[in-house]
Amino acid sequence: MERNTAAQLKKINWFDELPDDMLAELAQKVRKRILSEDEILFNKGDVGDSLFVIISGRVKVVTQDSQGSEVVLNKVGAGEIIGEMALLDHEPRSAGIVALEKTSILELKREDFMGILKEKPDMALSVIRNLSSRLRHNTGYIEQITEMSRRVARGDYSFIGETQPVQKRRKKVRDQDKIGQLMAEFFTMVQGVREREEELKMQVQKLTPQIDEAKRKQVFEEITSTDFYAGLKKQAQKLRAQRRDNK
Amino acid sequence: MGKIVSIHSFRGGTGKSNVTANLAAQVAMAGKRVGVVDTDIQSPGIHVLFGLDETNMGNTLNDFLHGKCTIREVAFSVGEDAGQRTQLAGKYLWLFPSSIRGHEISQILRDGFDINLLNAGLQTLMSEFDLDCLFIDTHPGLNEETLLSIAISDLLIVILRPDIQDFQGTAVTVDIARSLDVPNLMLMVNKAVPGYDYDDLKGQIEGAYKAPLTGILPLDFELAGNASKDLFSLSNPLHPWSMELRKVTEAILVVP
Repeated sequence: MERNTAAQLKKINWFDELPDDMLAELAQKVRKRILSEDEILFNKGDVGDSLFVIISGRVKVVTQDSQGSEVVLNKVGAGEIIGEMALLDHEPRSAGIVALEKTSILELKREDFMGILKEKPDMALSVIRNLSSRLRHNTGYIEQITEMSRRVARGDYSFIGETQPVQKRRKKVRDQDKIGQLMAEFFTMVQGVREREEELKMQVQKLTPQIDEAKRKQVFEEITSTDFYAGLKKQAQKLRAQRRDNK
Repeated sequence: MGKIVSIHSFRGGTGKSNVTANLAAQVAMAGKRVGVVDTDIQSPGIHVLFGLDETNMGNTLNDFLHGKCTIREVAFSVGEDAGQRTQLAGKYLWLFPSSIRGHEISQILRDGFDINLLNAGLQTLMSEFDLDCLFIDTHPGLNEETLLSIAISDLLIVILRPDIQDFQGTAVTVDIARSLDVPNLMLMVNKAVPGYDYDDLKGQIEGAYKAPLTGILPLDFELAGNASKDLFSLSNPLHPWSMELRKVTEAILVVP
């Protein structure tokens, strides 16, 4: 059972570089819980003092809109982690979690986690190293998005296709990586912007003056075949000659 | 002697009267002596742009054509009665309006008039007012008074919108102008809606009609809102519509 739990913990990027003995120690501290359908794990605004790992089942991440109605931000399933930052900072929960079905989770309390860290300074170093690596990785994303934003502002979309988001180069990144999601959304947005721009360009159409020559000739002849027109033409010639002489 | 400039469009709704009034105002602003005759006796409209209505309109072209007054007595001096068009105060600009009274319009349409008298009147006012430029706002289509206006023109400006029917009608007008030996012919596009390649269109129009396209004036809702009561190029001189109109004005000024 504990070996199984240790394997679950190893999948979490906070702990994925921990040696097996440390993982085994952590596994002893976690508590297994079963959520029934619609059970609330915690509410938005609650004080957060635990990390949860989903072993099976699915939960939804919810918040409220300005009218107080529930808005589902995300759905999270097996192998994913919830509320890991709460182990280190003491911020209230930014969203609530509700089970969508019967869900099995592991809970690690902050005090237990801290206890291990005090006993095993190596583990603290390992967690710090991991956090530092994530920070470096995220900084890389931010720099990349900054540069691409500048290029989009100039109307340069050439990086789409030629650049792979850094996410794809890094094997360990998981779906829950939020900045990775931002990156993916950014690419989707830029592609959308480019498509709309091209559509607008297409709308600048060419207009060709098409003239029906037979109809043109017919109308011309109808007008010019009258006696009035013949007289007018003669009179106009006379007038022009007069006015030329006057100039 | 000055030049006669007829402004024509094959179909109505091109903004012809509005363009004519603004061109006349701009040429007067350049210090020229300018007359504007409304020969659109079926549907007169240009008077509004110079501040005339039922209450202050004196003699009309209809009165002259019915022998009730001289052509000189039809003249409304815009320079002396500029109203809110303060830029035109003191300029040499006269309007010769058509009647806007319903029974007078139906009378002239029913009884007709002597086209030679109209011609004589136009020639007289050219010399009596010593005009540099006489603008004739014609009725759309090619009826007799419009054909006369074209026939006596030194310059014919054909206004078209960028659409199929105007392209076709303009072709006939251009043929008629050539048949009547009009020495100068220009085209201008009004109410150009966005979304088309107008540089490309200019080349195509000039190729199709073998005449210069002197201006492409944009459709503008701000302009459409007050076009009928205001001389837009005077009140909004830096608007793209006004800037494009002044290109046409410059082209008119250099015609001999």
